[in-house]
This record gives sequence, structure tokens and C-alpha cells, in this order.
Amino acid sequence: MSRLNKKIKINANVNNCELSKPARVTGTTFLTILTILFLFPIAIVLLNSVKGKFYIASTPFALPTGEIFVGITNYVEGFRKTGLLQATGWSFFITIFSVLCIVLLTSMTAWYITRVKSKLTTNLYYMFVFSMIVPFQMVMFTMSKITNMLHLDNPIGIILIYVGFGSGLSVFTFAGFIKSIPIAMEEAAMMDGCSPIQTFFYVVFPILRPTAITVAILNTMWVWNDYLLPSLVLSNKYSTIPMAVQSLKGSYGSIDMGAMMAMLVVAIVPIVIFYLTCQKYIIKGIASGAVKG
Amino acid sequence: MQKSMKKYFPIFVLPTLIAFAIAFLIPFVMGFYLSFTKFTTVTDSKWVGFENYIKAFTVNTEFLDAFLFTAKFAVVSVVTINVFAFGLAFLLTKGLKGTNLFRTVFFMPNLIGGIVLGYIWQLIINGVLFKFGYDITFDAKFGFWGLVILMNWQLIGYMMILYIAGIQNIPGELIEAAKIDGANGRQILRKITIPMVMPSITICTFLTLTNSFKLFDQNLALTGGMPAKQTSMLALDIYWTFYNRVGFEGVGQAKAVMFFVLVAVLALIQLRITRSKEVEQ
Amino acid sequence: MKKRVVSLMLVVALAVTSLVGCGNNVANNNANTDNNMVVAEAEEVEEGTVYYLNFKPEVEEIWQEIAAAYTEETGVEVVVTTAAGGTYESTLKAEMAKNDAPTLFQINGPVGYQSWKDYCMDLSGTDLYSWLLDPSLAVMDGAGVYGIPYVVEGYGIIYNEGIMNAYFALENKATEVASMDEINNFATLKAVVEDMQANKEALGIDGVFASTSFASGEDWRWQTHLANLPIYYEFADKGISDAAEIDFTYSDNFKNIFDLYLQNSTIPATLVGSKTVNDSMAEFALGQCAMVQNGNWGWGQISGVDGNIVTEDEVKFLPIYTGVDGEEEQGLCTGTENFFCVNEKASDADKAATIAFVEWLFSSDTGKDYVTNSLGFIAPFNTFAADETPTDPLAKEIIAYMADDTKTSVAWNFTAFPSQEFKNAFGGDLLQYAQEKISWDEVKTNVVTSWASEKALSVE
Repeated sequence: MSRLNKKIKINANVNNCELSKPARVTGTTFLTILTILFLFPIAIVLLNSVKGKFYIASTPFALPTGEIFVGITNYVEGFRKTGLLQATGWSFFITIFSVLCIVLLTSMTAWYITRVKSKLTTNLYYMFVFSMIVPFQMVMFTMSKITNMLHLDNPIGIILIYVGFGSGLSVFTFAGFIKSIPIAMEEAAMMDGCSPIQTFFYVVFPILRPTAITVAILNTMWVWNDYLLPSLVLSNKYSTIPMAVQSLKGSYGSIDMGAMMAMLVVAIVPIVIFYLTCQKYIIKGIASGAVKG
Repeated sequence: MQKSMKKYFPIFVLPTLIAFAIAFLIPFVMGFYLSFTKFTTVTDSKWVGFENYIKAFTVNTEFLDAFLFTAKFAVVSVVTINVFAFGLAFLLTKGLKGTNLFRTVFFMPNLIGGIVLGYIWQLIINGVLFKFGYDITFDAKFGFWGLVILMNWQLIGYMMILYIAGIQNIPGELIEAAKIDGANGRQILRKITIPMVMPSITICTFLTLTNSFKLFDQNLALTGGMPAKQTSMLALDIYWTFYNRVGFEGVGQAKAVMFFVLVAVLALIQLRITRSKEVEQ
Repeated sequence: MKKRVVSLMLVVALAVTSLVGCGNNVANNNANTDNNMVVAEAEEVEEGTVYYLNFKPEVEEIWQEIAAAYTEETGVEVVVTTAAGGTYESTLKAEMAKNDAPTLFQINGPVGYQSWKDYCMDLSGTDLYSWLLDPSLAVMDGAGVYGIPYVVEGYGIIYNEGIMNAYFALENKATEVASMDEINNFATLKAVVEDMQANKEALGIDGVFASTSFASGEDWRWQTHLANLPIYYEFADKGISDAAEIDFTYSDNFKNIFDLYLQNSTIPATLVGSKTVNDSMAEFALGQCAMVQNGNWGWGQISGVDGNIVTEDEVKFLPIYTGVDGEEEQGLCTGTENFFCVNEKASDADKAATIAFVEWLFSSDTGKDYVTNSLGFIAPFNTFAADETPTDPLAKEIIAYMADDTKTSVAWNFTAFPSQEFKNAFGGDLLQYAQEKISWDEVKTNVVTSWASEKALSVE
């Protein structure tokens, strides 16, 4: 465990090559410029969200000064006209519960199919891995029809769908990690009389925590930003943020560019905050995925 | 232990399996079957054999055009993203000041969803092009490079993290030994660093390749296929075949099957190639 | 520490969710939370609900008001969603596949009916049908009535009389034209427009015509409305109202007016791909141009612009001249492509509620007030008295032109266009032509081929 942590200590000067001062300076300058370029698009959206609606499309780079600046009008208009508050609520609800269910259910499944060797479990594993390659378009139409037939076209139902879809990557990730855990502890616990459920929750899951966090984060990013799946499954009363953004873009006449910019900001802010707080976990998790290959 | 666990199947596996079956397995099999039929809803299908597959290519050239566009896009993106990401990873493992900050910033674009991303970049690209009297719909080339830039912005940070982990995994002693033997920076890079990070290259190439081929949200938002569907990629073309026309669902499904086969084959080939180049750790 | 932060965030998120979630469950399920309007609780058990998929984005907000007003008056839940421009067919298809499918939707005429006939309820027994001024306008199949037209509209070239008068008063203008009456054919129109464009600075405008908008889904003014004219004339020559193939004989006439729009505009032709109809209407409203092709539904888009300087009495219609013989007698293009349909597959309660809603809209005082004054519709029903017609200047012009016996209205033949695919492909070609990527001959050939192949596909 600690070996793993040591390997991921990002700041370490592992390659041990001393860069000369000029090289260091050029390097740092280059990276700084790149950083500004990378942040540029986000800054543009923020700037434009406080500009008057006619000045956005034609002069997106103009600074919001003088008559172009309209304060929070766009946000107010955006919220008022588009049901953005509801969309935010649904996005939160669906994302959080989907992710919780995915982490819980797929970790259990992964543990089972790794520990119980049978033809069934091996085949299940391959099916899960296989599903990661299949593009969504292959199942998009049939899945949306089935979902409607089974009356799953609501926020609760869509959680089931996300579990189904997210299980591929999640089971794969969990299984990969579980394979490297020595089975001894679990066997000892079972011999001491713990049921598999107790063994899983008291012995295995705590060890899985870093992987669980990685899986949670990857799925959060996916579900929060997903557009196509909810647009085909959910009826419009349950719009999520990406759905609201897309319907906004299409429906001109009453929605303006200003409200659009405000919406984009609102779409980005929660996930950025989430990222900045959980940064270390996110990066650690992704990197540890790389080490295992 | 296995014995006592076996009967817990319903608790541990069944829920996931049911969700998986409903959301993926059954639609997949149905989709495959339906690609050989003419249908409007999933319950009224009429077997037509390979007619849909032929129609996909003969009614118009959109599918083929989308494939060429997507292929070009994927090649360019995979190369640019991986080269830049590796380069950045290399720089960020030198222990420069502010590495943490840089890492945070470069990864951030990955958080932003496809649709939002597309509209942000559309605003910026149009803003730049307006100065020259054009807009992004004017030429498919603008859309193409717009998508490439967007993809790069979104994925470089993610791949960079993977490369950093890979680079850091190289035992320091190897580099030391090489230095003692008199190898210079470039030789170390080519003979030691790159072969040792092959596992990362495998994953990163796999991810960028599959993501590029499957791209949908960003495509829809940035160009919407304009002008005249010239910038529509495979996923968008399939979506339109399903929803924009009446009576073409079978063709759409056939296109989707071909799409899936294409992605699967490419992924397998790519994994084979890079896996074989991996060096024993 | 980090763990606590994460757990805290989760708690906050859950709290937010439950707050909003609670709000959702209690309040009405309208897509917009508007004006703190307390909408009556919908009794979903016995009464039906109405879900209308609206085709006209320009009046989206008004429909929301109507829905709220109806619910307040009757307690019946009405949800209105609007499809984005150019996406009505695909949105309707996606929505129909869901459990909460629209109960009220529209088709564009006989062609649209072919795609949706399984979903159209027979309305021949309804009061609504009996109110039609001209029952033959409805979409019929045998004895059944499946689509009821709900608005008569017209389009042409909307112009700003103030700017036109300023031109006529110019000292050094190159033409001899001194009033709008003299502009009654393409040759004169072209001369005036080109001269105005040359003198745009003196007139204080950026160009004569507003942007020829071609953003995705925004090109319907050209691939449908403008395209109607050459097809109308070709059909008139042949004495038909539909065809499996066309020759596009009047393509040069289309090109005449289209070139005029492109070359005498507020923006260069290369930039049209990113402009929306909204942008064009705003340009007109702000006095940046003198003319814009659109229909009377566009009044709201002119009057609703912040900083609008165009007044009601300055706004008039000019027929779209293309250089056809005898066009001095041509009037505006009037007709309908908006037919209400009730979803046959909806529950009986929903169907009854939907019909009741539509009938309320076109017969009750509140409803009729919305129709004439807010939506600005010229409704083809006998429930509207002679004085219950829209008062906006564009609608008045339409009515005046329709009543003028010296002018022949151009009928709306675009309801016979093969499919949305055909229109989209035509629009795509027009954009490329505007960007000088392809020649007009290519456009012409493509139109002919595309019409034939799309017609063939639609009867498969």
C-alpha cells in the first residue's frame, strides 16, 4: 500500500536529472503560458456571462465594460426562463445516486466474480470488459425503447440504466484491484465465521476505498456531463443540465446568448469545485489505474 | 471459501447483472437482430437480410464521408494528444516549481461535459474567424481543426496524468546506470523512458482512439455537422439516420453495428501492437 | 480532513437535491417556473393532462402563459415544450417514443400526415372541426379528419417604410423610383435595392437586407419559404399540386432574389452560416437594415427587441418578386402548414382534455384574446368575429393583401415538399452556394435529383 503511495508522489524528482537554470526558466515560462492558454476558454465564458446579449456572439473577446456590462441579469434571466434550478436539482440527484449505486453494486459484483472461479463468472467478466468498447449508438435506440416499455423513463429508472452502463468500466477497475489483494485475510475472516457479506463490508471494502473513490469520480464526471442518454430516456420534465443547455441552444426566439453563457457557467461550476476539493484523490486514482495497466 | 460464497450470487451479482442486462445486453442483442430488419418500433419488424447494410452505403455517401472524416480526425487527434501529453508529462516530472498548479490546470478541461465544451469553443472559434470574415460553418476544415483543438484541450490533461504515473514508475537506478554509462538526454529518452512507459502508451492510445471514434456531444455542439453534414462524424450520422428520417431505423441500426465492429477491431489491433512492445518491468 | 470535506459536500448536495426534488413533486410539472404563479394542483387520476409539442419557437413564452392560464382556470395540467428550429420532426419522433408522449402536436400537411397517420386521432366529430371556415383545408383521409389548420399566415419581404422614404428623398439616387407602389416587379426591386446598398451610409444602415441566416436549423426561410415560389409557378404551369419529379424550371428566378438578398445585406455572404433568424429580425428592429424576408409571425421578434426603433405604422409587406412574367399581380404567400393533431395513442382522458384545451383556446374569451393579441394568429375559425383579428401591423397587412382582389396570393405548395431531408439538403447546398463553394448549376441538379429520390423513399 505504501509502495503504491510512494510511486504516486508526483512531486518527487524521480528522474533525478538536474536541469540547468536556463532550462528551468524556459520550462517554467512555457508552462505558465500554456496554463493561461488552457484557462482562457473558461475565462471567456465567465466574462461573456456578464455581457449584454447582443454583444456576445459578435464580439466574444471584448471586455465587459461600460454599456456592455449587465451584471447578473443573464443569470437571473437564465434561471427564470429555463428551469435551470430544476435541471441542477435533477443533475445532482441522478449523479449522486447513480454513482453511489454503481460503486456499491459493482464492487460487490467484482469481488464475487474475482473470488469465485467458474465458467459463469469468467464469462461475466469478459462481457463487462466487452461492453466498454461498444459505442453507445449501437444500443441507443433499442435501449430507449426498452426503457420506456418498462417505465424506467424517470430519474429513479435512469439510475438503473446508469448502473447497467457504468458497470463495464467499474467492474473492470474493481476486479483489477481485487486481483492484487491477497486472499488470506478474507479466508481468515470467513473461517472465523463471517458471512461473505460481513467479509466484504468489513474486510474487503475498506481496502478497496482508493479504487472506490476513483470509480466514483470517473462515473461522476461521466453522469454529470452526459447528454445523449438522458435526452433519449428522460421525458422533458426531468431535464438535466446538459439537456437544458442543448435545448437552450436550439430554442431561439426567447432565449438569448446571455442566458446561454450563464447556463454554461452554472454547468461548469459544481464540477470544478468538486474537482478542486478532491483533486488529490482524482489524480491519484487515475494514476494508479495507469500503473496496473 | 468459494463454496460458501457461491450461494450469495443473488446478492452480490444479480442486481448489477439485471441492470446490465436491461441497459446493455438485451438492447445489444436486439440491436444486432434488428439491423437485419425493417422496423419503426421494436415490436413490428420485418426481416430484410442485408438490405439495410447495403442501403447504408448506397442511398447517399454520408456514412462513408462520416467514416473518412472520423478516421482522419482520430489519427490526427491520437497523434497530437499523445505527443503533447507525453511532452508535458516529461516536463512535469522534472521537479519544476509550480508543478502541482500546472497539473491541476491542465487536467481541468477534462471535467467539462461535451455539449458545454462544444459551445464554449464554438464561441471562441467564431470570434476569431469573424475577424477574417468567416465562421466555423464556412469550411469543413474549420470544423475539423476546431474539433481537433477541442479534443486536445479536453484530453491532454488526462493522458498527461497517465504518462506522469508511467514515467515515475521507471526505477531511478536504470536512469542512473545509463547516465554513468555516458548516455545523454535524448538516448535515455529513446532507449529507456519510452519503452518503459509502453503500458501507459497502450492505455492512452486506446483511450484517445476509442474516444475520438465515438465522439458525439462535442460534434453536435461545435459544428452540428455543418456545412452540409461535412463535419459530421460517425456517431452523429447514425443519430440523424435514426431520428431525422422516417423509415430508416433499420439502416441506422445497421450503421451502428458496423460502427461497433469498426471500433472493436481497431481497439483490438491497437492493443495487440502496443502490448507487444511492452517491456517486462 | 479530505474525507470530511467530501462527506460534507455529499450532505450539502443531498440537501440541495431534496429541496429541489421536494419542490418538483409538489409544484406543477411545467417546464418553466414562471412568475411565482401558483398553479392549481393537477388531479392526474381522473382528469387527463395535455402535453403540447410546440413548433414555433418565436412564441414559446406565450404558450407557457397560455398553459398556466388554462391550468389556473380549469385545474387541468398543460405542459408545453418547444422543439428547436428545424428539429420538429426528430424531436416529435423522440418524444413519441417516450411514455409521456405529446398529446397535442402538429403536422405540416398531407406529407407530414403520411409519417404520422398512426398517431392522428379522427377529429371529424369535434366542435373544433365544425368551426373551420373552410373545412376543405383540413387534412383528411377518406371521411376522417386528422389535421385541423389552426392559423393562416403569410410571408413576404417586410420593409421599413421610414428608410424607404428616406431613400426616395435622396438627392443623388440613381433610380427614378419615388414610391413603394412603383416597386411591383423584380427589375425595379433590384434597381432600388442595389442603389440603396450603394448609398447605405447616407441612409444610416448596414445593408438593405438583414442577414440571410443559415445557422443550423435556421435556413427555413430559404429552403422552404423562398423555395415555395419556383415550385408554385412550376405547379401552376403544369396544373398540378404535387409531383414525383420536378424540373425546377424557375430556378433562375430563385437565384435572382437569393443573390439580391446575399449581395445587398448587412453582412458579407461568407458569414451567413452563423446567423440566426433572431439575429436577422433584431437587425431589422434596430434599424440596421431596411428589409427582411419573413412572415407575420415575426412581429413579436421585431417588437420584442430591446432598443427597437421600428414603429408599427412603418412596417409593411412587399411581395417577393423573382422576375416571373405577370408578377405585378402577385401578392404575398399565404396559407397554412400548421395542422393540429391529437395523439390517437394517448389515453381517452388525455385526448378529451386535449380537445377541450384546444377548443377553449379558440372559443373562450381568454383563449381568443391570447390567439389574436399575443400569438398574433389569424385563426381560420368562425368563432372569431370580424373584429377579432390580430392587430399587429404584419397581420393586418396579410389580411389586407388576402382581401385585395387585384392580387393573387401565392399558395403554400411547400407542404408537398418530399421531406425534411430534402429541405435540409437544399439548405445545405444554398449555404455552400452562398459561400461560393459550389455553382448554381450544381444546386439546381441536386434539387431535381433529391426531390425525385426523396419522393420515391416516402412512398416506400
